[in-house]
Amino acid sequence: MFPIYKKELHSFFCTPFAYTITTLFLLLFTYMISTKVANLETNIAIFSYTEIFYKVIFYFIFLIPIMTMRTFADERKFGTEVLLLTSPVSVLKIVIGKFLATVTVFLFMISGTAIFPIITAKYGNVVYSQLTCAYIGFFLWGTMFICVGMLISSMTENSVIAAIIGELIMFAFVFLDDFARTGFIAQYPKLQSVLMAFAAQPRFSYFSAGFIRLSDIVFFISAIFVLLSWTYISIEKRRWKRG
Amino acid sequence: MITIENLTKYYGTNRAVNDISFTINDNEILGFLGPNGAGKSTTMNMITGYLPMSAGKVMINGIDISRDPVKAKRDIGYLPEIPPVYPDMKVKEYLSFCAGLKRVPFGQRRDEIERVMKLLSITDVKGKLIHNLSKGYKQRVGFAQALLGDPKFLILDEPTVGLDPNQVVEVRNIIRSLKKNHSVIFSSHILSEVSEVCDRVVIINKGDIRAIDTIENLEKSFATGLVLHIKVKGDKTAAASIIELAPGVTELIDITDEGSGITSFTVQLEGDADEIRGNVMSELLKNGLTILEIFTDRPNLENVFIELINRPVQKSSLKELLDEITPTEDSADDETDDPADDSKEES
Repeated sequence: MFPIYKKELHSFFCTPFAYTITTLFLLLFTYMISTKVANLETNIAIFSYTEIFYKVIFYFIFLIPIMTMRTFADERKFGTEVLLLTSPVSVLKIVIGKFLATVTVFLFMISGTAIFPIITAKYGNVVYSQLTCAYIGFFLWGTMFICVGMLISSMTENSVIAAIIGELIMFAFVFLDDFARTGFIAQYPKLQSVLMAFAAQPRFSYFSAGFIRLSDIVFFISAIFVLLSWTYISIEKRRWKRG
Repeated sequence: MITIENLTKYYGTNRAVNDISFTINDNEILGFLGPNGAGKSTTMNMITGYLPMSAGKVMINGIDISRDPVKAKRDIGYLPEIPPVYPDMKVKEYLSFCAGLKRVPFGQRRDEIERVMKLLSITDVKGKLIHNLSKGYKQRVGFAQALLGDPKFLILDEPTVGLDPNQVVEVRNIIRSLKKNHSVIFSSHILSEVSEVCDRVVIINKGDIRAIDTIENLEKSFATGLVLHIKVKGDKTAAASIIELAPGVTELIDITDEGSGITSFTVQLEGDADEIRGNVMSELLKNGLTILEIFTDRPNLENVFIELINRPVQKSSLKELLDEITPTEDSADDETDDPADDSKEES
């Protein structure tokens, strides 16, 4: 598993990939912070990191599929999948190795945002407990999206298609609760409750509000577990189906 | 030893490999010969555990690859048809990654990588990006990867494709040198290559094994169908009747009038070629005809190969015939698959 993890990190960090995507993310994040800071003079403005995090997850819809689109699609495209699947490493370890490497890049990406609370702490007060909760939620949300992206990548050999489909699914995920609250769905309360059970956005809002609820943690961890299992099944299924 | 028992593979309803069985002995080079689309790559993919089999068993040193794939794969080095290289990695980085994958102990990795790079003459490109290498070099990097960790069994799918003639000779020499400590399965559709390097050959076409034997035995077993060429000066009608009626001549294949009273005959023989040739010669001389040329021609390996792959497979039982037209349960399950699967069947 470790060689795969290392190789994946190599492909992220020994190419401009990880740096470009982190720069893009930090630029967007900084843009949001600076507009908030600029609006501080108006009375209605509220400056809150957790609120910023809440909004930043929309950027994930575009950034995370770019990170994950190549994980399995490129292996298939370049014929290197054969190398992995004929080496003495189980498919499960291949999936976990790739997952951990992508999560590492994601951590690298979000760790850059810590600079803003550090600067704020120097000149004012930061509510660390709430900020930590928000980071936990932020991390769980991103990790779940990574699993969605990996699953889609394992289903195709075209990385661009993997990215586009990943974006569509993540988009649906983010807006699932809004959709469930529409008047149309409200006519069917049972359907509404099912959709709400799958909506991750309201769960994230608890984290960003400074609450750690066991049910939310279980939700995200189960989603990660299920999506990784599906990725494993998808690779095995493809082997059985063709080759 | 690798034992392959009743190996079968279906792609949808299309049967790519049909109930094949053979063994690869220790320190043996086994040629896997067949035209394009014969099922060579599919079989190799199943032996290496990349593709699951629809039926049958592959035992690597007594370990079933479907039951304990991780353990079985430790003894295998595989070079697939397309070398499995990452274009964005440098040669040495790539080999280092592969050494890790193949669980070469950390302390030995550097020496092992140096060893394979030297063997395949790729040391001079170790710092280059694989993306920038020529096809021949990529093929050699792929080959080097298969040799890492010194696996007991090497499975090489058309290792000489894309190489220039010098490199082909080099690679063949490497394969020969590997025989000392390894067993090699080596697929090719080039006959001369297989006959030069391999101890035994498995000839396969359309998923069926047509022959498993040594090259010499294959040639011998087809030696009964000898052909006699005779060039005679004199009365061609008399010559034709003598030759045709000689015992052992089964068929007159060709007569060519070459002018100046010279005629060439080509006939099919059955039986002891030397005796038949002697009889024909003495009969011709007795009748006052001059023999300018006479020789028997053994069908060469090329002909054996063509004959074997084109020979229809004999069905020994009604069950086999029924199997041919009825898909198995496995394949029935796959019937809903993308029809494009069939076209991907084999390469």
